[in-house]
Amino acid sequence: MAAKKFLFVYRGSQAEAASFKPSPEQMQALMASWGAWIGKFMQSGQMVDPGDALQMSGKVLRANGVVTDGPFVEAKELLGGYSVIKVDTYEQAVAIAKECPAHRDGNSIEIRELAGLAG
Amino acid sequence: MNQVAQLTEHSFRHEYGRLVAALTRNLGIRQLDEVEDAVQSALMKAMNAWARHGMPTDPPGWLYRTSRNELVDRLRRANTWKNIHQELSQQSAIISEDNIAWSEPLEDDQLRMLFVCCHPALGVEAQITFALKTLCGFNAGEIAHAFLTSEATIHKRLTRAKDTLREEALDPNDLSESAIQERLASVQTILYLLFNEGYNSHHPDDFIRIDLCEEAVRLTQLLIQNPSTASPDTMALFALMLFHAGRLQARVNEVGGLVLLDEQDRDQWDWSLIKTGFTWLNRASVGEVITKYHLEAAITAEHCQALSFDQTNWKRIDELYELLYRMEPTAIHALNRSIALAYLHGPQAGINWLNKLHLKDAPPGYHHWPAVLGELHRRLGEFAKARAYFEQALAMSPPPAEREYLEMRREQSV
Repeated sequence: MAAKKFLFVYRGSQAEAASFKPSPEQMQALMASWGAWIGKFMQSGQMVDPGDALQMSGKVLRANGVVTDGPFVEAKELLGGYSVIKVDTYEQAVAIAKECPAHRDGNSIEIRELAGLAG
Repeated sequence: MNQVAQLTEHSFRHEYGRLVAALTRNLGIRQLDEVEDAVQSALMKAMNAWARHGMPTDPPGWLYRTSRNELVDRLRRANTWKNIHQELSQQSAIISEDNIAWSEPLEDDQLRMLFVCCHPALGVEAQITFALKTLCGFNAGEIAHAFLTSEATIHKRLTRAKDTLREEALDPNDLSESAIQERLASVQTILYLLFNEGYNSHHPDDFIRIDLCEEAVRLTQLLIQNPSTASPDTMALFALMLFHAGRLQARVNEVGGLVLLDEQDRDQWDWSLIKTGFTWLNRASVGEVITKYHLEAAITAEHCQALSFDQTNWKRIDELYELLYRMEPTAIHALNRSIALAYLHGPQAGINWLNKLHLKDAPPGYHHWPAVLGELHRRLGEFAKARAYFEQALAMSPPPAEREYLEMRREQSV
């Protein structure tokens, strides 16, 4: 089976993101658990791109040409970051996502296969 | 290369205190909220970037630059720059945003900040709370745990402390010799508590937190290196920490359980630390004044001198605890004396001493009190009483390692 690429999109609730103020030690523990997760799948070759975290605010360009500032109050969930994975099946992608610290911390991970149109 | 080990090599807690102290020194205590937010934000960035892309070559430098840039952004947004310029330009030549003399973070920025935290306008509890938050990187929940109080109380305490310091318009650079002398005792107390929290942690996972002990030792070392703070009591405090630090490793067994003094393998003690402790205790023994640090260090020194637990000089230790209790009649000293008495004259002597004290000495929720009484009755073979006391202690939600120990003792009381 040819390997497919999957996009992981990390989402968390707005309310939680706003009140998320971990202590330095908690941040360090979080960093270590992300490092362990990423390191494991980089080594296995299944992590194509560990991705990045997103800033908490941004802008939206609407179809009518109006640009508004984020964060986007109408969205219940905030986009927190992304990674790209390369595995054969959805099942394998889900298994990797289950080990991700974002999932363990109560955030959701949206898993989407890349259509591969870019070749 | 073990990526995860690398990620935990630089203590965020330590970096937090260092950065807050350095940036506050540059901008003044009034900007403390902005400084703390900027440092928090820089650590968040580090957390996201380092886990994904590895460590930068100079992590402390990276954090300092990132915090500083973040701070400049925030102040610019809040339009605070204009005000800061005005204040600063009154003091010195015209300063522009770009040529503010950002000092490189110095070790003793933190010591300086510690003295700022100990402003006499704040109560002792507020001083400690404030220092733990800004200097030692504790969050409100962790401080609440250490003080056995609610997070809301801690938040209130912090807000009030910051308001007070703002009103007093403190400049961290302006610490006169008399201010330093006036605040030294509070600084010692904070370092003592910080060490204790490391040695006997409230943390659910770790009952020993070596990083906190190391931080306390490091800051105390700065105190003894500075002529105006290297008083005999500071030296005694330093000796006390070294004696305890020398025995830290032996307090934990292979499976992470707690090992008490009588069961510790004395070959595991770090004798170089203990030896240095004796050097400082000798130096501390000049002058007329005996402080609680002298007494506590002397007690710990007695334990370190005993070749085995059986050879402990309980007579001397009992005398020292009696002096200590007279100087500071607290539950912890009372309990410790009862243990010394129990070894010296038998468990009943310890129980008698505790029963003689007023009940106000046993603070509510202090699980060590019934735990010790339980242990003394167990040794007398009064198992029903012992079990009742162990139950009482267990009901006070002790930390996991101590809970295990108490449950074991309860099982043995038949």
